[in-house]
Amino acid sequence: MIRELKFLLSLWKTNLAAAMEYRATFITQSLGMILNDGVYFLVWVIFFDRFKDVRGWELADMFIVFGIAASAFGLVGMLFGNAFNLSEIITGGRLDYYLSLPRPTLLHALASRVVPSGFGDFLYGFISYAASGQFTWDGLARFVLAVLLAAAVFTAFLIIVQSLTFWMGTGGTFTMLAINAMLTFALYPITLFNQAARVVLFLVVPAAFMGAVPAGFVKAFSWSTLGLMTLAAAGFLAAAILLFHLGLRRYESGSAIQTEV
Amino acid sequence: MKKYFAVFNINLVNSLAYPAELVTRSLMILLFMWIFYQLWRVTFAASGSDVLNGLTLRDTMWYLLLAETLELGRPRLARVISQQVKDGSIAYLLNKPYDFLLYQLSSGLGESLPRMGMLFLLGGALTWVMAGPPPDLVNWPVALVALVGAWLLHFCFNALIGLAAFVSEEVAPYEWIYQKFTFVLGGMLIPLDFYPAWLQTVSKSLPFAYMMYGPARLFVQPDPALFAQIILGQFVWLSVLGGLLLLAYSRGLRRLAINGG
Repeated sequence: MIRELKFLLSLWKTNLAAAMEYRATFITQSLGMILNDGVYFLVWVIFFDRFKDVRGWELADMFIVFGIAASAFGLVGMLFGNAFNLSEIITGGRLDYYLSLPRPTLLHALASRVVPSGFGDFLYGFISYAASGQFTWDGLARFVLAVLLAAAVFTAFLIIVQSLTFWMGTGGTFTMLAINAMLTFALYPITLFNQAARVVLFLVVPAAFMGAVPAGFVKAFSWSTLGLMTLAAAGFLAAAILLFHLGLRRYESGSAIQTEV
Repeated sequence: MKKYFAVFNINLVNSLAYPAELVTRSLMILLFMWIFYQLWRVTFAASGSDVLNGLTLRDTMWYLLLAETLELGRPRLARVISQQVKDGSIAYLLNKPYDFLLYQLSSGLGESLPRMGMLFLLGGALTWVMAGPPPDLVNWPVALVALVGAWLLHFCFNALIGLAAFVSEEVAPYEWIYQKFTFVLGGMLIPLDFYPAWLQTVSKSLPFAYMMYGPARLFVQPDPALFAQIILGQFVWLSVLGGLLLLAYSRGLRRLAINGG
């Protein structure tokens, strides 16, 4: 375990150094993403200015939900950037490279890329929380914990969706659809959805664990919410790892010559 | 014109060559329209009125459908052009007997038309089931004229962002921010009619309103005065952005250095 953690740390260090090699791109993408998120959020400012609340859900709630989703999304991009294109790696036969090395295949593949704009998303989440008008220091500690657990659920969801590529043979469009579903559902007030839709949001597209549930935890500590989020993160991660390894048995290399940089 | 029609035709046929892919990509609109319906159904119900700022729930949904069709269906030309500039493949397009910008316009239109058609078909079917029948057929040609102007404005912006690769290492953030401006100032997620008066004035003095709000609003409630205002606005902004595009293109060409092949 410690060995793998050391390996991960070295990978992240190398990724960061590689990203900083193109410093202008890194800074432009990070700052651009902060601005992008800020402009996008104005939609909700305008909406709640006109309509005040959606079944009790107010602008302050949106600030927190948006903050958690943005930071969790950014964190996954920063630490496990290949989680967004695992499907391409599988179909392109690029798993050969990771399979040939004495390290856990999935972990190595996921952590081998950094998405520079992820830093912008990650930072914007904290700005959004600070702007919510509900900032407290213990709330910040809960925010950090909530972001970590939301990121774990999101990573697991990305792995599950893209592991289906092993069976489907292709998965790019499906992945795009799934990511959009996860983000869209996470960023809309959960009070909009009826019981049946909420079951989907907890179990199928676990957007509730990237938005409403962690937002509730940030607003007020609760052991039951923390337990639920931890259980969801552990459960989805276990399912993701299992599905990926089941799929890996079906993987066929094309023996193509690949260069990993 | 014949050669540009050929380019358009090739891209049209390409887009239609994989119908399953076309349908899968378009499924995204079902997700968005369903979630919009949840939001606006609750909002209209909470207001206790059938008409808000001159729009019914049905109007709002068909407005959003047209805006989403335009947003999801427009070609991502900024990425294509910036990639061509960065990897040098622009050299292979420049030495052909056609105008580079008209080539991009024709190929973009060929790619966009089937996608927009499929998005409108799928999204329209769901909107009809949820919110009621589409606007009167007499509204359609009016909206179509404005849709053409809106598409051309999108093209100018996208091409300008793509050509920015001549001077900027990274253009993706410009594209993200441009997209979010169309969301907010174009009235893509909330019709501009729901905005405060001062923000409506600001939005209508910028090009974004003519790229989203114009065609979508004319689709649900065509009005001769509004039609004249939208068409005039599109004409003015097309002249400004078209002029800027030609200038950026000629300046960009002067900066281009092609070494070998």
